[in-house]
Amino acid sequence: MSNPDNSPLASAHHEEEDTPAVSSPKVGFLPIETNWFDRLFISVVIWVALSLFWFRFVEPLGLSIWISNAIALALAVLIITKG
Amino acid sequence: MQSNRLGWILLAPTLVILFFFGVLPFIYVVYVSFHQWNPFAADPTMIFNGADNFRKIVFDAEFLNSVSVTVIFVLFAVISELVVGYVLAQAFMKEFPGKAIFRTIHTLPLIMAPIIVGSVWKLMMTPSIGIIPHYLNAWFGISINIGTSPVAAFATIIIMDIWHWTPLVTLTLIAALVSLPPDPFEQAQIDGANKRQIFFHITVPMIAPAVVATVFIRLMDALRTVDEVWMLTGGGPGSATRFVGVHIFKEVFPKTNYGYGSTISVIVLYLTIVACWLLYVTMLAPRNKKD
Repeated sequence: MSNPDNSPLASAHHEEEDTPAVSSPKVGFLPIETNWFDRLFISVVIWVALSLFWFRFVEPLGLSIWISNAIALALAVLIITKG
Repeated sequence: MQSNRLGWILLAPTLVILFFFGVLPFIYVVYVSFHQWNPFAADPTMIFNGADNFRKIVFDAEFLNSVSVTVIFVLFAVISELVVGYVLAQAFMKEFPGKAIFRTIHTLPLIMAPIIVGSVWKLMMTPSIGIIPHYLNAWFGISINIGTSPVAAFATIIIMDIWHWTPLVTLTLIAALVSLPPDPFEQAQIDGANKRQIFFHITVPMIAPAVVATVFIRLMDALRTVDEVWMLTGGGPGSATRFVGVHIFKEVFPKTNYGYGSTISVIVLYLTIVACWLLYVTMLAPRNKKD
């Protein structure tokens, strides 16, 4: 009987355990587990939705789209850091 | 580290192909969406116009109508396909005479090109020569004309889509049902669970990933339906069946308005991604556990 720890499968198993996780799920104020890319994606989705809403309903009242961009940027920072 | 590098080497061809055929065209469409561009005009240069195309799109009544028509179509078609597909998948899990022949015939619509499906249904639905209006009139006294009735045209497109794509749903659900382990079902039966309880508490949670994947595929396909509709109704009568795909086609090709067409494409892609993401979050995403 050979030592199981010296077998190729055992070493491959150890190698997998040593490999760091690509993304680490985080518990924040969002209701789902997210990694940084998920939170960036959510921020971009909100930015586009807010911009379209702004074009349709707010910009005709005279408020610039840059205000919407600033709000979206602030939200993105909040979501990415605390989401 | 060795396996990590090997993984990247094996992935490299796919990533390169994806970059050139997926990412680059997407970036180019986003770039064009910020321009006014008619390549067939006397002056074919691209003119940067900032976010003006996006300003225009939120007030474009034709586009907003096409989005609402598409959403209604997608809801009806995908839900119907899921229900009919599940019933058929459950039927195929049982043995009955002629099962093999029925399964083959049932799968045949899948191998037909959408444009052929559209033209065949056009022939079947044309008043005076079509078999469906003829028998509806002869048997039930119903007169149907998809050229003049918006409801008939819309309903026909939904039925055509269900006929065409339900086999795909059936096949994926059969694959999911076949792979289910028998133990939980036997245990539930021993514990006295009825069929409804077994369906909602065991079958549905266990096939949920397959259902979501199937809905993803059908949702994305249904949102970009063009050729079948183009052949059957051409988007009419009026704008009753002018889905976003048809709207983009009419904007880009007859009007040669490439900039605005790209803007519509980007928005439709955005809506598709958001719809799929919401579905994923609702059905599959792991919840935060806060103590």
